[in-house]
Amino acid sequence: MTWKRLISSEFYAIFTNIPLLVTVFGGVIIYSFLYPLPYINQTPKEQSIAVINLDDSQLSRTIERMANATPQVNIIEQVYNIDEAKALLVEGHITGFLLIPQHFYRDLLLEKSPHLLFAGNASYFLVYGTVIEGLVRSTSTLAAEVKVSRMVMRGDNIALASSQYSAIGLNLKPTFNASLGYLNYIVPAVFVLILHQTLLIALGLLTAGQYENKVKYHPVTELQSSYWLIYPVWQILLVRSLLMLIIYLMLFSFYFGYSFESYGINRLATIPDLMTLAFPFLLSVIFLGTVIGLLIPRKELATLVVLLSSLPLVFSAGFIWPTSNMPTVINVIAQFFPSTPAINGFLRLNQMGDSIDNLVQIKMQLWSLTLLYAMISGVLMHKKQHELNMIIKSS
Amino acid sequence: MRLLQSIKNEWQLICHDAWLKALLFWMPVILAIVIWGVFSAGIARDLPIGVVDHDNSSVSRSLIRNYNASPTLAVVNHFHSMEHANTALREGSIYALVIIPNSLEKNTLLGKAPQVTAFYNSQFILIGKLINSAMLSAHGTYVAQIETFKDLASTRGNVEQAIGEALPISSQISPLFNANTHYGQFLVTAVIPAMWQIIIIATIVLVWARPLQNTSLDVWLAHLNFNDELIKLIPYVLIFWIQGIVYLSVFYGTLQWPMHGSWLLLILAQFLLVLACTSVATLFFFITLDVTRAMSLVAGFAAPAFAFMGVTFPTTDMPLLAQLWRALLPISHYINVQIQQVNYATTFSHSAGSFVALIVFISGFYMAKLLVEKRKNSSALNETKKETVEKGCN
Repeated sequence: MTWKRLISSEFYAIFTNIPLLVTVFGGVIIYSFLYPLPYINQTPKEQSIAVINLDDSQLSRTIERMANATPQVNIIEQVYNIDEAKALLVEGHITGFLLIPQHFYRDLLLEKSPHLLFAGNASYFLVYGTVIEGLVRSTSTLAAEVKVSRMVMRGDNIALASSQYSAIGLNLKPTFNASLGYLNYIVPAVFVLILHQTLLIALGLLTAGQYENKVKYHPVTELQSSYWLIYPVWQILLVRSLLMLIIYLMLFSFYFGYSFESYGINRLATIPDLMTLAFPFLLSVIFLGTVIGLLIPRKELATLVVLLSSLPLVFSAGFIWPTSNMPTVINVIAQFFPSTPAINGFLRLNQMGDSIDNLVQIKMQLWSLTLLYAMISGVLMHKKQHELNMIIKSS
Repeated sequence: MRLLQSIKNEWQLICHDAWLKALLFWMPVILAIVIWGVFSAGIARDLPIGVVDHDNSSVSRSLIRNYNASPTLAVVNHFHSMEHANTALREGSIYALVIIPNSLEKNTLLGKAPQVTAFYNSQFILIGKLINSAMLSAHGTYVAQIETFKDLASTRGNVEQAIGEALPISSQISPLFNANTHYGQFLVTAVIPAMWQIIIIATIVLVWARPLQNTSLDVWLAHLNFNDELIKLIPYVLIFWIQGIVYLSVFYGTLQWPMHGSWLLLILAQFLLVLACTSVATLFFFITLDVTRAMSLVAGFAAPAFAFMGVTFPTTDMPLLAQLWRALLPISHYINVQIQQVNYATTFSHSAGSFVALIVFISGFYMAKLLVEKRKNSSALNETKKETVEKGCN
């Protein structure tokens, strides 16, 4: 009954548990390549569109050329009515189209503010946004040129005219992810969730594997001497959480260091700042995983439960859909999973350059969750230990 | 008769297994409600933004009122220092920060075209894009008002011409197939199939593994009749198929999201998807012959499926390797059919490729059968070897 024996048994239990090792090392490393894979190109570019040019003036052809010049769209087809364009869209050849109405040039000269029609396939929002952005950008350049030339015709100075075409300009600057890259958006948040989920599974597999009722198939003498039935619960929990913490601090550094660096993702936080969040995050997950392991009857269910929780946790974390627009119940429940405050905290710290002093609330939340789940796992483990020892004695 | 009998048997087993009951009946419902709940607002409203107003004039105030009037935006904070404003943007309590320069009013009246700067949080791309377009349109409306008003003087009160001068070209933007760009319609209809795939594959693995709870693997394998076991899966396939039909009816019936295509084709695709997932699960189980390891395979295979479906990020912009991985997931072929039917109402010939792909997955059953036979042969061989060795010793 020494600490040394406990530590070595725990070490042995972790490093001989093949499914655990596959999940922890295999899972974390494979996911670090697989998950970012679809987003490697960052932003959708050169979406194929069609043009319906009913005006066929020189100006309308200029519009086509300007649209083609944007990185967002690429005109691949000329069609003559909306139905043809829609047919191409349905077949997946194009993702949007531009309609230049008849007499567009004439109406422009008559200052009648002619309409252009932009259409995009809103079955895919990112594609739709890209097509519309390209079309709006190219025509607003044209509109500005038209205004400037009118001002010059009225006798304004060209230098003045080209800076004064709009009464008040708006300069919109994307901040924290200047390129609007999708990889920069998804990966920093999802990697936190991957660490969260694999760690939950690992603890679930380990704990459930030990505390499930095996009396039926295993000789009692073998079970009697199991270290998890002999040592006091607090010692087991302490050793287990510290060992897993050390393993996961390494994996955490691999993600937040090597992976982020190689994908070119912002790393604004200092290592000590990251660690002050990483400690309570990993510890709270370790204890939550232990609680799960003690609640399920068979170890394979750990993977199942965690797997099913993944998508709800991603979408309720607040980085995809604003929390203010979510039902309060969902938001409150989500706060009990360490992933929610952790994703939020790490994004603020590492992606948005917030100072650790502003994250007191998140730090407190993670430490409270650690305490809460540590207590629950202590109570449950104590109960299980007692039950199993009784069963072994009686058989 | 045998089929009915086996359905009855399975039904009794399901009733006695709380986890199986959960996976087949109430868990999918709860998960679907949570996902629908998150996006139930459909369109994001009142996203908090902050303002630093260096001018504090009637023009700047009415500009701010215009931003606030946008349904997407809510001006929640007027900052007096850039420092506080920056902190708020960094901690995410505001999604955008608008900075109005001093002498905005003076410069506007002098025609000097002052610039308003807005920093929006693009770390949250979806929210950032909403803010971006809401700001552009709120700002554009206000500026057009000012310019029209100015031009009214030069056009001697001709409103139409004044508008024409302020906005030389106007545009109409039309989002096809999702007319009000409803996020529920867009994301929920893709996330729920992704979860459905996870549930089907995981449940079938558990069903295969059930006998192993009280029999050892070798004994079970020795008495295994693969085709008989497949018949036992029929009730599960039917239940999952019903799950699929239920979620479709809720989306396009109860919630009345638009559905233009053929229900028949869609429901047929669902049936094939359930078969494809059952087949993949069977293969996973017989590759590992261990429930925990099979479940790890399920996790690796199905958990990232949503990212590869090509709904949020277009397939055409994925690298080849990602497209290949996508092709290995049954759900990505199903979602093609779903989008084609629901949004475009195409004919069968457009979706034929996806149907064929789903059918190809069913070959997993055959591969699993080969694995079983191989395993049986090798153990039979071992036994005969043992026997000969024993005989030899005698």
